[in-house]
Amino acid sequence: MLATVAVVVIAVVLIATAVAVVVSDNLVHSVFWLAAMLITTALLYVMLEAPFLAAIQVMLYTGGVITMMLFGVMLTQRDPGSRVPSASEAPGWAAPVALGLGATLLVAIWTTPELAALTPTPSGDAQKIGHMFLDRYLIAFEALSVLLLAGMIGAIVLARKGDA
Amino acid sequence: MTLNPWLHGLVYGLPVLLGVMGVGALASWWERKFSARMQNRIGVDVFGPFGVLQPFADALKMLQKEDLVPRGADKTMFFIAPAFPVVLCVVLLGVVPFAGYWDDTGTWAPAILISNLDIGILWVLSVSGLMVFPLWMAGWASNNKYALLAAMRTVAQGVSYEIPMVLAALVPVIVAGDLSIARMVAWQATHGWMVFSLPVVGFLAFVLFYLASLAEANRIPFDIPEAESELVAGVIVEYTGIKSGLFILTEYLHTFIASALATAMFFGGGHMPFLAGLPAIAQIVLSATAMLVKTSMLFVSIYWIRWSWYRFRSDQLMELCWYYLVPGGLVLVACTAVSVSLGWV
Repeated sequence: MLATVAVVVIAVVLIATAVAVVVSDNLVHSVFWLAAMLITTALLYVMLEAPFLAAIQVMLYTGGVITMMLFGVMLTQRDPGSRVPSASEAPGWAAPVALGLGATLLVAIWTTPELAALTPTPSGDAQKIGHMFLDRYLIAFEALSVLLLAGMIGAIVLARKGDA
Repeated sequence: MTLNPWLHGLVYGLPVLLGVMGVGALASWWERKFSARMQNRIGVDVFGPFGVLQPFADALKMLQKEDLVPRGADKTMFFIAPAFPVVLCVVLLGVVPFAGYWDDTGTWAPAILISNLDIGILWVLSVSGLMVFPLWMAGWASNNKYALLAAMRTVAQGVSYEIPMVLAALVPVIVAGDLSIARMVAWQATHGWMVFSLPVVGFLAFVLFYLASLAEANRIPFDIPEAESELVAGVIVEYTGIKSGLFILTEYLHTFIASALATAMFFGGGHMPFLAGLPAIAQIVLSATAMLVKTSMLFVSIYWIRWSWYRFRSDQLMELCWYYLVPGGLVLVACTAVSVSLGWV
């Protein structure tokens, strides 16, 4: 009962912070809302009895978000107040598309009986996840790391283009 | 004995919290005396015996100061930023075991510990990763060039030095085979302290962790974010009164907690020899004392360095991290993994 209430509260905060990220005119505020949203997502993982995932979520996304913030400040005019208009150019079109997407997702979730049967089990412990990564999903895991490495090298090449 | 979670939090959390706040206050007096002795001065000596009540006078003074908010500051962020660092420090404390004892089954059990999280060390790393957020908030919201520069440096340094810190923390994790700090201490109680049980590598991992902690806490030689000769007071330059006081308190708390963590991970935490066989309560008192002594020694060494060294230049700081500490950390982790899998440890 208490857990349900907690999940509902977390969900509301999650959605509110997510909306704030998009609506905020101030880039730095946006990024802080994003950080708040990611930490709230970690709370959701805690409620699903996956504390390991929650800690990883906070640890990895913090670094990512804070780096993004640096880019945000360095790439935009700080004065006056690094304002970026965030309103959509064609809300008349965007709103139905977003609502339609949301409705499709909801219908998909509701009509999939397997999802309703899922219950959180306290199995998200580090050992199990580690075994999965290095055993069953080894190839996928390695492929992902190679992909990320390629992305990183690409970014370095693009960034260094000037002084070659 | 299982308590109601609320009661558990109160019974264990409150003394630890009060104790650490006391340490924070005492540390500011101690640092002034310590630096004074190093510079052949007397230091504070007016208020209380040896000036020991000086922190309370300072706090009272800070509370009376006018609360200035710079024009053009981001008022909300400027206002909330000082609260977070203290909160994060206190949250970090939750997983630090401050004492332990040999229970009836002959295993080392934690005694003064708020929460024995299974993911203890990950908790520490992720929360200390969050520590750059409030500093960035403060620096950006101040609308001051020095504060903003300091905030940028803080983020760059924090994000970089987090990597060697994680690598150094991985060494005890691999050796003890557990992420819980309390169980790491238990492992060390039976197998010997981490710095000794894994020859050379354990000690080097400790050095790496210590250096990375210094950098995360922005202490000399890594205090480039607040280099006072360049940036006045870093991100706190625009803060007055108790708000700047909170940032200063955080610095002491952060160094103290980093020392406590290093003690728990590498120096056996509250473990000391000759405890087995004593009554449990005596063991707990002795091991809490041992923990405090070890932590204080590390804590003192941080300030010893602070008052006798100069700071690195910004580029030297990054070079040290990326060219030496990160590769070194990777080598240490590989060595540890090999020794553990070959059964040497």
